[in-house]
Amino acid sequence: MSTIAFSASSAVGKNAAASADVPVRIAVRNLNFHYGDFRSLKDISLDFYDRQVTALIGPSGCGKSTLLRTFNRIYSLYPEQRADGEILLDGQNVLSPSIDVNELRARVGMVFQKPTPFPMSIYDNIAFGIKLYERLPKSELDGRVEEALRKAALWDEAKDKLRQSGMSLSGGQQQRLCIARTIAQKPEVILLDEPTSALDPISTGKIEELIEQLRSEFTIVIVTHNMQQAARISQFTAFMYLGEVVEFGPTTKMFMNPSKKQTQDYITGRFG
Amino acid sequence: MNRMNGMPRTEMIQPDAWGRVRRGRYLADWALKAICVLFTALGAFVLGWILLMLLYEGISAMRPEIFVNTTPGPMTKGGGIANAIVGSLILTALGIVVATPIGVLAGTYLAEYGKDSKLAELIRFVNDILLAAPSILIGLFVYTLMVQPMGGYSGWAGGVALAIIAVPVIVRTTEDMLRIVPGSLREAGAALGAPMSTVIRKISWRSARAGMVTGVLLATARIAGETAPLLFTALNNNFWFRPDLMGGVANLPVMIYQYALSPYQNWRELAWAGALVITLSILALSVVARLLLRKDKVR
Amino acid sequence: MVALSQKALVTSADKPSRRSSFLSFDDAFRLASLGSALIVLIVLLGIIGSMIYGGWPAFREFGLGFITSSVWDVQRDQYGAWVAIVGTLTTALIALVIGVPISLGIAVFLTQLCPPWLKRPVATTIELLAAVPSIIYGMWGLFVFAPLFARFIQIPVSSLVEGLPLVGSILYARTPSGVGVLTAGIILSIMIIPFIASIARDILDQIPPVMRESAYGIGCTTWEVVRHVLLPQVGVSIIGAIMLGLGRALGETMAVTFVIGNANRLSASLFDPGSTIASRIANEFNEAIGLQLNALMALGCILFLVTFTVLVLARLLVARVKTA
Repeated sequence: MSTIAFSASSAVGKNAAASADVPVRIAVRNLNFHYGDFRSLKDISLDFYDRQVTALIGPSGCGKSTLLRTFNRIYSLYPEQRADGEILLDGQNVLSPSIDVNELRARVGMVFQKPTPFPMSIYDNIAFGIKLYERLPKSELDGRVEEALRKAALWDEAKDKLRQSGMSLSGGQQQRLCIARTIAQKPEVILLDEPTSALDPISTGKIEELIEQLRSEFTIVIVTHNMQQAARISQFTAFMYLGEVVEFGPTTKMFMNPSKKQTQDYITGRFG
Repeated sequence: MNRMNGMPRTEMIQPDAWGRVRRGRYLADWALKAICVLFTALGAFVLGWILLMLLYEGISAMRPEIFVNTTPGPMTKGGGIANAIVGSLILTALGIVVATPIGVLAGTYLAEYGKDSKLAELIRFVNDILLAAPSILIGLFVYTLMVQPMGGYSGWAGGVALAIIAVPVIVRTTEDMLRIVPGSLREAGAALGAPMSTVIRKISWRSARAGMVTGVLLATARIAGETAPLLFTALNNNFWFRPDLMGGVANLPVMIYQYALSPYQNWRELAWAGALVITLSILALSVVARLLLRKDKVR
Repeated sequence: MVALSQKALVTSADKPSRRSSFLSFDDAFRLASLGSALIVLIVLLGIIGSMIYGGWPAFREFGLGFITSSVWDVQRDQYGAWVAIVGTLTTALIALVIGVPISLGIAVFLTQLCPPWLKRPVATTIELLAAVPSIIYGMWGLFVFAPLFARFIQIPVSSLVEGLPLVGSILYARTPSGVGVLTAGIILSIMIIPFIASIARDILDQIPPVMRESAYGIGCTTWEVVRHVLLPQVGVSIIGAIMLGLGRALGETMAVTFVIGNANRLSASLFDPGSTIASRIANEFNEAIGLQLNALMALGCILFLVTFTVLVLARLLVARVKTA
């Protein structure tokens, strides 16, 4: 039964989904999040499966981005924000104070809504992140940069202008550069925070294809406000509302046969 | 159980090896943070040191009679700084009275009429240059413009020199403040049939009022302590000023300059007292200006 | 031309019936605004004009030699600007060398490291430091800093380097009084710090937060975020801010006059007294007559040219940031 659900989940008919025996990569347990006095995540418990795409959907302000931002503790840049509970990445609680956040962020990559190429060349944009954690000879570094650009489907467009500024690329290319920058670090998890909301439909399509391919290597969590996108690219979907997970399940089931009325209403656009 | 809903089984992957971070990176990071904190503390320390110095020297020189007596001549005992205080008030007031209408109107021109025109861009550019131009050059300019033709130093020349320093400050803040007034407000006013000048005066100026007042206060704080432009214009003397403000007009900054570098003990003490008076006034003015703006922002 | 931009407003506001052949209040108001704006322009032209007019006799008398000559002799009526020019540039350079790293450190602290509750007090302190009149810095420099500087820096350093080549002449104080070119540079650096720091802070604050987040997001430390991402992102503007500080250091008068020692000769040592253009003018202008007055005006002309160039460059680099 589960297998049926899975193969149906890749509605666009791309790769068949993985088998049902998928291990958990990130386990969220009783996670609460506070912006000052406001509690924006309430007792979240959720599993994210290894090498699967999990989509977080829900109306704006439901906490889906907040949840994503706890996985690499990027929220800790803002002193008034704090999280408690457990987020187990490979069994280790990333919220524990003993975790090295910089290293955590190298293991859990993040791509943001707006493309953010760093003020350096295309090559350096990618090499910069690698060099933070690995000392490589030049030739090997070149190889890694090329590999990342290839995986991000940017190599053909960028190979002749690696020394040009990252700003010289188009918006969609910039976003793929950011993805390349992230995967170059060989993270285990990639977090995508509405990565296509600032892009045109063609660039969006390219990024979606890319996500589909990256799934074979990385565990991916994507926040999206676009339900078609969630249906197209994810294997699992969590619907959030007012800081709580209303429903979580395989994407097909969520979209074809949700068990909660709220989910049904949101997905069919009847949401107030 | 899970499989019944199509959920895979829950099983944790074993932890990878951590510890890829090189120690050197943390050292650099720690050093940066330490240096930044140190530099900031240094800045605060210097301000504290200067204020303490002023308080210590100023208070020990403070006596009630110095607010009544005029500045003493060489080898004269006692004396006060009353004429310098009043003279400074007059010169500063003169400067602000001249500068405010010019500054406000020029700022209004830039924000409401000129906007992105070539002329407005040029004036904005020139204003920014004047804002940072060495004040001693403004003293030289007013010397050529007024002191030479009028045949002598005067309070008027001093006032004009201070006004020239104040105008760019007022122009800048006025324009900045008018620029953040939403265009829809102006359109609403114009839609009622109000002419441009009325829209500006009744709507734009009113919305930007607190910011514009802040600009004038900051300009006042700026010119109250200016010494260089007064050296060749109002100069200084040891008497009460003449009613027509011709001849030198005593003022705190030039008095402090002359007395602090003098060999006489009582002159130096008066310089300290004057320094304390002027610094506290200026700091108070700046703080009030900032509070005013903040209150406005909150509202 | 000017009215074009607000044509829409005017046409909707000015009903034809109300338009008179005389100058309406509306027109008068616009002209008054334009006139005030033009005053700003006229003042700058006036400053340039008065400097050239006043300095012309000196330039005519000495020609280019006015700039290159280091003689300043009132008795023989011989004037050259070289000593003052060198003094101006040296003190300003010292001020930048000391002041820029400290300013940037403060800006980084305020924008990246400072806990929120501390932000306002620290920012206010730095801004108040900018409001303190320059004459107060002069007094502090002369009466507090210079004696300490003489005792703890000049004397020990001089005895340490005496006889050594190069440093033995650059850092040797013949009369360790505490005043001199280096002291002036240090006081200037303190004066430009709040200035550069607050502009740099504004510039760093304008970087969208997502830039910072994505740099932290790949595991950068604060140092790496600042060094590789934030500063390159705003590098040009920061250079502009530094130029604004330089403009200020070049033209600062009172504080320098207090602590530079006002010597008319050129010395190899940074510990020796010197003079800057501004301090020379402040010292001599009121007693000057004839050619000396013209020479001082010519000095003013040179100072104007130098600062004007620096400020124009700064203005072009910092598109438009707060300078007040």
